[in-house]
Amino acid sequence: MKQNYDFDIGKIKNLSQEEKVSRQKNLDLFYEYGFPSKQVEDWKFTDLNLILNKNFDNISNEVNFESSKEFKAIENFEHNFIFLTNGKIISTNFGHEEKSKILIEDYNQEEVKNIDPSNTLALLNSALSFGGFSLEIAKGYKFKKPLIVYNCFSQDLKNKILNNKNSIKLNEGSELTLIDYSDNNTQNNFIKNTVDTIFLNKNAVLKNVLIQNSKSNGHFYKYIKGSLEGDSNYENYILSSGLKLNKIEIEINLNKDNSSCSIYSALNLLEDQHQEIKTRINHNSPNCKSYQKIKNVLNDKSKGIYQGKIFVEKIAQKTDAYQLSKALIVSDNAEFDAKPELEIYADDVRCSHGSTSGSIDSDAVHYLMTRGISKKESVKLLINGFLNEVLEKITHNELKIFLEKILEKQINGH
Amino acid sequence: MLKITNLKATINEKLILKGLDLDIKPGEVHAIMGPNGSGKSTLANVLSGKNGYEIEGEISFNGMNLNDLKIEERAQKGIFLAFQYPLEIPGVNTNIFLKTSLNSVRKARGEKELDTLTFLKLIKEKAKELNIDEKFLSRQLNVGFSGGEKKKNEILQMKLLEPKLSILDETDSGLDIDALRIVADGVNSYKNKENAFLIITHYQRLLDYIKPDFIHVLSAGKIVKTGNADLGEQLEKTGYANLS
Ligand SMILES: Nc1ncnc2c1ncn2[C@@H]1O[C@H](COP(=O)(O)OP(=O)(O)OP(=O)(O)O)[C@@H](O)[C@H]1O
Ligand SMILES: [Mg+2]
Repeated sequence: MKQNYDFDIGKIKNLSQEEKVSRQKNLDLFYEYGFPSKQVEDWKFTDLNLILNKNFDNISNEVNFESSKEFKAIENFEHNFIFLTNGKIISTNFGHEEKSKILIEDYNQEEVKNIDPSNTLALLNSALSFGGFSLEIAKGYKFKKPLIVYNCFSQDLKNKILNNKNSIKLNEGSELTLIDYSDNNTQNNFIKNTVDTIFLNKNAVLKNVLIQNSKSNGHFYKYIKGSLEGDSNYENYILSSGLKLNKIEIEINLNKDNSSCSIYSALNLLEDQHQEIKTRINHNSPNCKSYQKIKNVLNDKSKGIYQGKIFVEKIAQKTDAYQLSKALIVSDNAEFDAKPELEIYADDVRCSHGSTSGSIDSDAVHYLMTRGISKKESVKLLINGFLNEVLEKITHNELKIFLEKILEKQINGH
Repeated sequence: MLKITNLKATINEKLILKGLDLDIKPGEVHAIMGPNGSGKSTLANVLSGKNGYEIEGEISFNGMNLNDLKIEERAQKGIFLAFQYPLEIPGVNTNIFLKTSLNSVRKARGEKELDTLTFLKLIKEKAKELNIDEKFLSRQLNVGFSGGEKKKNEILQMKLLEPKLSILDETDSGLDIDALRIVADGVNSYKNKENAFLIITHYQRLLDYIKPDFIHVLSAGKIVKTGNADLGEQLEKTGYANLS
């Protein structure tokens, strides 16, 4: 069954005729394949086509980008911000920083190129992309405070799809903590399809945090493509529990010596939430490090998936790659699937991977209850203990406290 | 305070407590001694509400039927069990656990919950009394604690929750001489006319510090002898062989 797509490039503003033609090509290609179903290997645990069929009668890209909406900045946490509605910049504030070191503007739609024809969502994104931001940090500039990207949404998104592209470029030696903060309090079903392109030049350091602030019926797909130069470091923390459907795909290219990346995830999935994390770390150069720790707690009828691939090129000697997935399955009706993959062409490498899943330790629950704590609270303490570990390595105290609070909120079901 | 009448407890189809009677009044210290496997920890577990036991007989605690109370309610109403083998709970921060525990109990008692700062001040004081290094409080609960440190942590929880009936299951085993004295001092300073203790032990040395009003001998699931503090010394000499 095919749902009623109502995709129209004519509805996207300010496109040149050339642009329209090239976008139409992407759209035509998309139509050939449609949304991916489980027959597509990359989507075998997330049958997007089926899920969308079930939840949408019709999907359209006619979105009102003008409707700005008030938003409430997070309190007691000093930060800069970019405020987006439906993916488009409404306002920015870099009050803690030297403004001359920061370039922020709307994403240049002329740069919209197709990324990967085997990924039909990327095709669709390239056809329909609108809004988005480009951020560039000058050489050597280290952000004093984190930058929060507030992703807010208008109330009229029922049966709509948003397609955005963002670009984040850190020049040599610059540093930034970027918090992607989705605040979706609408109960509307809508789809968000985002592509983030990240470039870290030599010695640059980017901490990238993904947060979902409230429970929502959103169906989100995010593709992060990172390219790292020598001695640069990318760290990603995924704390995005709460969406009905969420798939985060991260591709990191360690292109030069001594670049490194870490991906940490702490998810507490409730009800019928479905979240997939799919990673691909390409070790393209010697002496690079990658580290992944993925923790999922599955409650109710939720489903969690981790597909993680480590790819090591022939020249990438002395690669140090680590990957671990741990799941805590709280309910008999919940499900977790893990598919770790190693593809290694170099011979002098250290690669390890593992995946475990288990249930709540009933003796531990008993112990906590004998101290006056209710069963429900005891289980929450154990879940928190299980997930909290992924924040262990954060040395910045304010950030850590902030993320601990976010995690606690997610454990309490928002 | 606690009145047990003809208590029988079965687990995995094995009858372990075979008709046990015990009467503990406020202000009293009772000791239970007895051979390995006689059912001492089983009694403690049953009182704490551990699942898996089939129970017959009556247990009344301050006028309530204990069997009607959930595990956490027993704790909230003032029963505390210091475990023979305190569990290691990875990931759970000791301070957060202690604060959650105290506030759950306070809430159930209709008292105001403590904010973090007040709590930290309180817990530091209590830890100091027991000569527990503050560093332990920020570690994961019991994880990597030595045997003695775990036992001290149990007593810290007791002092924090201020129970009416404290059941100490072999709290003395694993403690060095200094720690034993500190723990005993901790118990003695908490002891008053309103609360009571049930102390399970194999050794007289603890009873030298905490003087019991009664000593019971538990053997094969029944109390076979009850005496005063002198019974302990007598048992030290003769063992359990000629009792039954
Ligand atoms: N879950 C169980 N299933 C079967 N038998 C059990 C179970 N738990 C305890 N028992 C048995 O019940 C008996 C009493 O055990 P309990 O732990 O109460 O002894 P105890 O008096 O505390 O001994 P110790 O002095 O060694 O601590 C033992 O024979 C033990 O093997
Ligand atoms: Mg025992």
